[in-house]
Amino acid sequence: MNAILHAQQLTKHYPGSIALDHVDFTANAGESIAIIGPSGSGKTTLLHCLAGILRPDAGSITLNTPSAPLRLDTLADAALSRLRREEFGFVFQQGMLLPELTAVENVALALMLNGTDRATSESRAAEWLAALGLAGMEQRRLGELSGGQVQRVAIARAQVTGARVVFADEPTGALDSATSTEVLDVLLHSVAANGRTLLVVTHDPQVAARCQRVVELRDGRIVADSAGGVHVPAAPPAQTAAPIHNAADNAAAGNNFKGAFNV
Amino acid sequence: MSSLTMALRLTPYLARSSGSSLRETGLRDAGLPILAFGTVTALLLTVAGGSQVFWSWTDDIAGTYQALAVVAMVLLIIPLLTLGASAARLAARRRDDRLASLRLLGANSATVVWMTVIESTVLAAVGAVAGAGLYACTAPFLGLIQFRGQSIGSHAWLSVPSIAGCILAVCVLAAASAALGLRKVVVTPLGVRTRQTADGAHWVRGLIAAVVVAIGVVAMGMLSSFGAFIVIIAVMGGCFGLALLALNLMGPWILRLRASSQLKRAKGPEQLLAARTVLESPKESWRQVGGVAMTSFVGVFVGVGMAVADTMGTAGDTEATLLVRDINTGVMITLLGSFLMVACSAGVNQAAAVLDRASTLVALDRVGMPRKLMVAARVKAVMSPLFLVAGISAAAAAVLVLPLTGAVLLTRPVVFLTIGGVFAAGFLLVRLAVAAGTAQIGQVLARPERYASVDS
Ligand SMILES: Nc1ncnc2c1ncn2[C@@H]1O[C@H](COP(=O)(O)OP(=O)(O)OP(=O)(O)O)[C@@H](O)[C@H]1O
Ligand SMILES: [Mg+2]
Repeated sequence: MNAILHAQQLTKHYPGSIALDHVDFTANAGESIAIIGPSGSGKTTLLHCLAGILRPDAGSITLNTPSAPLRLDTLADAALSRLRREEFGFVFQQGMLLPELTAVENVALALMLNGTDRATSESRAAEWLAALGLAGMEQRRLGELSGGQVQRVAIARAQVTGARVVFADEPTGALDSATSTEVLDVLLHSVAANGRTLLVVTHDPQVAARCQRVVELRDGRIVADSAGGVHVPAAPPAQTAAPIHNAADNAAAGNNFKGAFNV
Repeated sequence: MSSLTMALRLTPYLARSSGSSLRETGLRDAGLPILAFGTVTALLLTVAGGSQVFWSWTDDIAGTYQALAVVAMVLLIIPLLTLGASAARLAARRRDDRLASLRLLGANSATVVWMTVIESTVLAAVGAVAGAGLYACTAPFLGLIQFRGQSIGSHAWLSVPSIAGCILAVCVLAAASAALGLRKVVVTPLGVRTRQTADGAHWVRGLIAAVVVAIGVVAMGMLSSFGAFIVIIAVMGGCFGLALLALNLMGPWILRLRASSQLKRAKGPEQLLAARTVLESPKESWRQVGGVAMTSFVGVFVGVGMAVADTMGTAGDTEATLLVRDINTGVMITLLGSFLMVACSAGVNQAAAVLDRASTLVALDRVGMPRKLMVAARVKAVMSPLFLVAGISAAAAAVLVLPLTGAVLLTRPVVFLTIGGVFAAGFLLVRLAVAAGTAQIGQVLARPERYASVDS
């Protein structure tokens, strides 16, 4: 497997706590990875460092792009911002969509920010919404959509630009369990169908169970990695939260998504 | 315990408990409302001081001057009310992150309202006192302004009780508009953010406005048949009131029409976001820039009208010539004052709006939306309605007076240059204030953890 995102000795301190403690981590292209761990263990901090949102105090982060490897930890703010909108996609629990825009405009905005013209952006956005089960709801404002539908809009927004890595932080945290499952299906299938890499922070064992790989954090260190080969420091023995499906499951389930996306 | 006593007890407690953050950001956040209230007070005192001399006259023409001074004050008070409401909203937003903990402490909505009203009033008081100081510094220069061919000199100084009265009035207005402006927010604490549908700005407004205008036109047409002078004055006053009413009804609707067409034509993200911001609440947009509509209309109407009067048949009549010149002076001061108020209000409003959606801005920054774009979209969402409103009102006034003034255009270009200059200065002021307000975006993004929503 080829590494797409590679972090070495990542360290991040906050006054009075250490959020990341010399973390080594590699994400391979096309993998879906769940990041689990107790509250305050550094999951969000790790995700934000890998995504170029937070700057680590020490350590390096390398993104392998088709042209040349990029060092995120040394990139200037403006370049990082650009990298985030061009190379990455994000699904947060809430807040990344604008309530005054319609569903289709919210998704199209991601493309427009990258310089795509409005007509093309909106038609591609509409294709994505339709593929994620929101056909006919393009012109609705966020307030007129259910929580699960809003998250589908966010999932469409995260991928419409052709992002190679999708970062999700508790994407189903605000949803009931039935809706969570649906949204999760949509996320996993659409990401897999397009060959993207997914990093999802979650508390939900059900979510972790459906990712190809599970990484567990505790006190700012990786204490378990289902991919194996990870140097677990002197910590309690690694115990993955749940069985890990293999890639074929998700890919098969995601087949119906493939045709729709030609990003 | 009544909500008021609860609020009085909690306000200083919160200020203390948030000691460090208050020192870091509180003062900076409070700067804008204080600046705004200071400007307003200085402006009110300046207009009052400048027109004070009118009340010392007892001759025939004094009544005209006094009436004009009252009109100028009224034109300034409306934007002042808007400003009070915006400042209250900002005060509420600054508290937003602590509202939840307040609720947990057992505070009910009334307590929250009281606290915001108290805070907003305190900010207004601080600003008003500073504004009075500013007025004291400018009074000597104010004394140089000429009315009826003489500089006002020491008449520019108001008595201490009048100054105190003005400060008190600003505080009362701030408290009142804070209470009114907040009611909506408190009923549903999340109401502002989770609004389901956009504000209506229905075409019915246009229809009502048209009917109102028609009534006014008919009344004006019948003016001469009314006979008695006092009736004519009353009808004219009524028509002026109707015109303002029509303007207020039509304003949001016109802004919505324009934003819809901008939305359709929008090519880039900036235009899209700006148009959507206006469409989200045309009434809110109108409240921000509406003050300029009235003064632009009056400014052009009176300014051009007076220029005409000046060139026609006033030769030899020095009193009339002076009156014309004085009205021009007054109109320009009022026009600038109104722009100043709109500028303050826009700045404060932007700061409040930024805090309103701080968590969204943080999330958008994280997904890579350029900060420049966030600012640019907000600036456009204010300036575009401002240009439209000022342009329409000025054009409407010009259409009414220009038929009389073809020649004036050639003989008195200075009048037009002055009006144009005042407008340009006004736009610049508003633009600067919006820049000050949107600077809050940088502050929010510099401390994302304070505003980020729970998950991230
Ligand atoms: N802005 C901050 N300032 C100070 N400390 C912080 C900040 N952000 C995170 N921390 C601390 O860093 C540690 C890791 O935080 P992080 O948000 O990464 O945890 P998490 O695993 O995502 O937790 P949760 O599951 O509750 O979201 C915690 O101890 C937290 O208190
Ligand atoms: Mg977290």
